Amino acid sequence: MSLAGEVKRRLQMLIRRDRFQRELEEEMRLHLDLRRDQQIASGAAPEDAGRAAHRRFGNITRIKERSHMAWGWNWLETFLQDAGYGVRSMLRTPAITFVALLSLALGIGANTVIFSFLDAMMLRSLPVRDPQRLVKLGNEDWNGITDSFASAELYSYPFYRQFKRENSVFSETAAILSMLNPVHGFVDESKDPEVINVQTVSGTYFQTLGVGAQLGRTLNEADDASKGDHPVAVISNAFWKSRFAGNPAVVGHKLKLGDTAFDIVGVAPPEFFGTKVGEAPDAWAPLSMSEAIPPGWGSYDKNFSESLYILGRLKPGVSMEQAAANVNVLFRQILLSFPDAKLTQENLARLNRTQVPLESLERGISDLRRAYSQPLQVLMVIVALVLLIACANIANLLLARSTARARELAVRQALGAGRARIVRQLLTESLLLALAGGALGIAFAVAATRILLNMISQGSDIIPLDVSLNFRLLAFTCAVTVCTALLFGTLPSIRGTRLQLTDSLKSGSAGSRGTSRTLMAKILVASQVALSLVLITGACLFLRTLINLNRAGTGFNKQNVLRLNIDSTLTGFKDDDPRLRMLYKEIEARVSVLPGVEAASFSAFTFNQGSWNSMITVTGMPIDRHVNVKHNVIGDAYFRVMQIPLLAGRTFGQQDTSTSQHVAIISEHMAHNLFPSGSPIGRTYFIGSPDAPEPPRQVQVIGIARDVKFADLQEPMAYIDYLPYTQREWGFGDFDVRYTGDFGAISSQVQQTIRSIDRRLPISHVTTLDEEVARSFGNQAIIAKLSAFFGLVAVFLSCIGLYGLMSYLVGRRTGEIGIRMALGAGRNQVGWQVMREIAVLVLAGIAVGLPATLAGARLVRNMLYGLGGTDPLSLAAAAVVLAMAGLLAGYLPARRAARINPLTALRYE
Amino acid sequence: MAAILRRKPDPAGNRDEIPPGTLYLLILKSLAVGGRLHGYEIAEFIESCSDEVLQVEEGSLYPALQRMLIKGWVKGEWGVTAGNRRARYYTLTPDGKKQLGVELSQFERVMGAIFRVIQTA
Repeated sequence: MSLAGEVKRRLQMLIRRDRFQRELEEEMRLHLDLRRDQQIASGAAPEDAGRAAHRRFGNITRIKERSHMAWGWNWLETFLQDAGYGVRSMLRTPAITFVALLSLALGIGANTVIFSFLDAMMLRSLPVRDPQRLVKLGNEDWNGITDSFASAELYSYPFYRQFKRENSVFSETAAILSMLNPVHGFVDESKDPEVINVQTVSGTYFQTLGVGAQLGRTLNEADDASKGDHPVAVISNAFWKSRFAGNPAVVGHKLKLGDTAFDIVGVAPPEFFGTKVGEAPDAWAPLSMSEAIPPGWGSYDKNFSESLYILGRLKPGVSMEQAAANVNVLFRQILLSFPDAKLTQENLARLNRTQVPLESLERGISDLRRAYSQPLQVLMVIVALVLLIACANIANLLLARSTARARELAVRQALGAGRARIVRQLLTESLLLALAGGALGIAFAVAATRILLNMISQGSDIIPLDVSLNFRLLAFTCAVTVCTALLFGTLPSIRGTRLQLTDSLKSGSAGSRGTSRTLMAKILVASQVALSLVLITGACLFLRTLINLNRAGTGFNKQNVLRLNIDSTLTGFKDDDPRLRMLYKEIEARVSVLPGVEAASFSAFTFNQGSWNSMITVTGMPIDRHVNVKHNVIGDAYFRVMQIPLLAGRTFGQQDTSTSQHVAIISEHMAHNLFPSGSPIGRTYFIGSPDAPEPPRQVQVIGIARDVKFADLQEPMAYIDYLPYTQREWGFGDFDVRYTGDFGAISSQVQQTIRSIDRRLPISHVTTLDEEVARSFGNQAIIAKLSAFFGLVAVFLSCIGLYGLMSYLVGRRTGEIGIRMALGAGRNQVGWQVMREIAVLVLAGIAVGLPATLAGARLVRNMLYGLGGTDPLSLAAAAVVLAMAGLLAGYLPARRAARINPLTALRYE
Repeated sequence: MAAILRRKPDPAGNRDEIPPGTLYLLILKSLAVGGRLHGYEIAEFIESCSDEVLQVEEGSLYPALQRMLIKGWVKGEWGVTAGNRRARYYTLTPDGKKQLGVELSQFERVMGAIFRVIQTA
């Protein structure tokens, strides 16, 4: 007995319902006719024969009904009936329906949007084979290169090789460079450079993940077997589609990266985006080629150039703990076995201290997750609260409507409709409302998701994050919708059907249930106010944080600075080539004489762009390994561009050449804390650790600059020093220009000038320093904007709730008010009475919301800047906003109450 | 099992209602013996085979047949009667034959049990 067959037959019956019904009727008619004929044949009179046939057959209508029920669709039919009835009754009160739909669409849509981001960043598994068996060494996801001994996060290629060979816990082991190389490369014979994001990986990468090629082959062990002689690449599906228009003969085409032409050997499958969520490489190349791929990050054979993540697939039956034990044993063995390991006391102590943690790679690596998990969770709570408020609102509206329909419901119950049946019908109406709201919400979400993704991306490049509709998302939205319907529908439907029938039929109004219903409505409205208080206070806190961040001192003048990136790798010069330095000098000189340009300089970093840091040792001071100094490599005019005041000494100039005494300018904070008393100028210090493979380099201090913010606005004051690029090679990216006048004009002039010097140089990321600083607190800005928006929505919904409730109360009390006025109450007095009631509701809501608000604020304390968690100003502002909104919402009903004409009111009664 | 039949005073006298729960069994058996029957023929078959003792409320055959159609125990095909009228003829499917076995053994078990009870001393 196959279930599928049964379902199929049931469906057929549903679809061809009319035909089945006709057939059944025909069949039954035949039966009756035959029986009648039989009766006549056995001698009955024709009339008697018909009656006898009917008697033997039974109740035809009931039998038809029972056959009908056999098809199993009667629930659907009742539902459709109820739904049809629901649509009609919703259309009868279009204002209520409109408000309900709008708030539902907004509430459900917002929940869908935020959930889609949560899903994409935090919940979804990588599209690879058995992702739950994949682990990664280290759990902090650093990006970069280090030479420090015993790093538990980043590893060198020789370490990876040896680890792969010797470990006994991973069935497969792979390595991946911790950074994506954004190369300006060329496709085939093209002369126009284009940005190709290349991810270098070990030959085992695809095999470890269990990802095959959709075309050609993936990388393999042989591609990674020896240094520099396997120029092959696998391209992503997106790159194949966009750059090669999905050409099936793409294998054999070439990508020129740096000086090397790479053969495209395959195309990765469509769903595969790599192992990092929010980063989608265009191509994967073997680590054996890393030095050939600009900017040449990583090394194939240096034991202490650590820049790789190591990934592994756990052997069957091996637990995370067993794997960690084996990894840590090998970690020590391998590091100690390197002949060039500097086994200083410090390094050995560090090795003993370090424990390599293992991290599940099921959901991939993600910086996005790190940055956005808390904001997203906060937003999820915010949108859930908004939806709750919307539910309370709709419950209230339905409650009011069910009062208006009390008579209708009473009549139906009097005619014998069961209470359960009526509750079901009212719930069907709620569900219908919720479904319509949910559908609108999904439409809203599709649009809003794009907007939010743009907001998060904060630049020209959209973060490659798949936040499109998917099954999990739709399931979530459906669940939310149904829960919503139950939340706002249950109370009114149960209330609405609890009737003293005679009362309702007699008076035609709400009768004696009035007070309890009003109490319920008041509780709903007060809780809306309480929830709104939470949301508005949150919005105030985040907005104040944003304002504080905008005002925060950076130490440099962020106005009127243009900055752009130049990829010098296309010149073919190495970082230490003097011709490269000449090129920089020429660009600086030519740009700085442009009209409107005050100064121009290259720099390794400006703000929020990562860092190069190391320890230093000041000559004559004890060695302190905890000192960490951020180094910036700059042109001569950098301080003038950034307007960082020089406090003592001089800046870099013509006299500082590659052969002269190496010099440095240090920050104020560094001068105060790391140097002995007296002026640091003229003193020397060593950059680098005595434990590092490369010997420290000595520099002499020639100046002291004011402290600036370097990584972000929240960081504590950092030690910073500046080195001239004439003495310290750097493959530059950043070019900074201080200008006056119009940004657009200056920008195009600067770009033209650079092209006229060397047309090959690709220019990218043209922006302002101000923008760059704002980008560093982009997620605070998003939270502030979104929480303000949802706070306003909450207030708006609460106002509708208040307004609706008070209008209803005034309407119901027309008679009472009339009597009061007839007995001498003044109009103002009546109006105030209504206002007073609103004030009590709002105050009650605020009182209830206060503890919740304080608790909530404590939870988000670490997301605030320049504020304590319990910011009285924000709380007061929120309370005032709510009070104002409440008065506004109450004004119309109060005025209506004051305008009641006692005569009309009493006649009405 | 559906088709619980309500006792009705029958002027024609001494007929007994079929025991509850056996309607499927009777229909399946009728089709197994009769091959291709329409609703009226099934009713006639049951009554004549039981020497007019068992009386089916004839209409209740139809909901039962509908359920059996859904379950896939019987198949319905339209054909023409001797009197040249359109009628739906039912036949057993392989599933139906299997079901007949199930219903039969069930019935025998219950009847056996009842028999044992009433025979006890």
